[in-house]
Amino acid sequence: MRRILFVTLIMFLLLMAAVYSAENDTVQPIFSNSKYNNSIENYKIITEHFTGEWQKYGEPFTILQKEYVRKIYFWILIAIPGIFVLHYLVIGPKKFPHEGNKYLVFTVFNRAVHWLTAISFLTLTVSGLIMIFGKYFGGGSLVRTFRFIHFPSAVIFVPLGLVMLLMWLREMIIAPGDITWFFKFGGYLSKKTENIMPVGKFNPGQKSWFWLGTLGGFVMAYTGYYMYSFAASTDNLRIYAIIHNFLGMAMLIMFLVHLYMSLFAIKGSLKSMLTGYKYEDEIRIMHCRFYSKLSGKDCSK
Amino acid sequence: MGRMRFLCDVDRCIDCGGCVVACKEGHQIPVGVNRRRVITINEGKPGEKSISVACMHCSDAPCIAVCPVDALYQREDGIVLVNKDVCIGCGYCFFACPFGAPQFPKGNSFGARGVMDKCTFCAGGPAENFSDKEKRLYGQNRIAEGKAPLCASMCATKALLAGDADKIANIYRERGFKRGSGANAWGWDKAYNKK
Ligand code: SF4
Ligand code: SF4
Repeated sequence: MRRILFVTLIMFLLLMAAVYSAENDTVQPIFSNSKYNNSIENYKIITEHFTGEWQKYGEPFTILQKEYVRKIYFWILIAIPGIFVLHYLVIGPKKFPHEGNKYLVFTVFNRAVHWLTAISFLTLTVSGLIMIFGKYFGGGSLVRTFRFIHFPSAVIFVPLGLVMLLMWLREMIIAPGDITWFFKFGGYLSKKTENIMPVGKFNPGQKSWFWLGTLGGFVMAYTGYYMYSFAASTDNLRIYAIIHNFLGMAMLIMFLVHLYMSLFAIKGSLKSMLTGYKYEDEIRIMHCRFYSKLSGKDCSK
Repeated sequence: MGRMRFLCDVDRCIDCGGCVVACKEGHQIPVGVNRRRVITINEGKPGEKSISVACMHCSDAPCIAVCPVDALYQREDGIVLVNKDVCIGCGYCFFACPFGAPQFPKGNSFGARGVMDKCTFCAGGPAENFSDKEKRLYGQNRIAEGKAPLCASMCATKALLAGDADKIANIYRERGFKRGSGANAWGWDKAYNKK
């Protein structure tokens, strides 16, 4: 988890650096003695009438798009699942016999919101990736169809994301110990379940996915809307496209982590989001503080 | 083969809009799409300048670099064309282009914009030369007929030059030389040079 965060941070710093690096490249007029008969001055004004300052935003957009975006997405899709395969083979999944009482952790409402959001999010991710790797699908009507799906999926995602934000807001607020959790990967790098650090209903990994998924999702929707509608200056469209494509990387990484944890790394996790129930033994270890609150019992191992 | 280029002489363009109309009419371009535009600065003031701009058919074209589906390509003579069967209408070429050349007509599905349309240098498109499909999707193919682009051909003041890079650069250089001050100014050779 720490490595993923580190990589994400580096990518954002690179992005910021790229956006601002062209700052000093604007052409300075060579002759400034005549206000009206100065072609360089005139050319500058003319250029502004077309698409703003290309050197400042157009060029960084072009370079990022040409050299980095598709490559980074490719490596995310290769490296992250690769890390998971290693984790699965070396450390293995967490299994619980699922004994004792079961507790209703996710209400019908929770589950409905979760799954509807999940479906729209999955559609957004898949259609987005197909566009990024569009040339390998030959472009044309197939890829175009996925582009047409991308927008309505976002229209469905945004209100659901908003409901989800309000629904879990309280439980997702950063709690003491959450930062240290990250530095120790929450104990997930150990084979022994006893090393899992005590957390509440949601662990910091889940929390960061929650915040990135909702707030990040809204930023994606905002920037995406303008990329779709063109209702902004060209320079702004360029900035929005850069944000959209790089924030998308962070969201893809976290989405893959979420998929791995829920489908493979913690057995029964998927089932709990379907039925709403979690078993006592699992909650006691994986969500210690939440267990104490639910049962009134101590969860010490 | 030469390298095709456009050159607009801002000292000659008078904002008559003829190039825009010629292009729209000649290629049957839908309403809302302008492959060529004329803009004027300092309008009505001393120093007013107009310029006509379409796709410049750039070397190392940014639009080609960013297209996610490789719908854009550059011919050997430098002309940049779009394959409308491949384009998905994402708009990235518009973000990348320094001249705002790529245009997007309204599409049929969900009101989303359709595939990209831009100046073809009157060279049609990837469809077979002079085919119905080429005409419908990309317009006339005057280059294949051995003619210059419509816009430049009809330009009344010959401000807009289109063609082989070296040739049009020479024309422009000569013009600049002739209209320069001093011995090169109009009429000077006849008026003052006889003894
Ligand atoms: S569309 Fe724009 S970037 Fe592409 S060749 Fe034409 S002027 Fe250059
Ligand atoms: S709009 Fe079409 S030509 Fe332009 S970048 Fe997108 S797919 Fe390529």
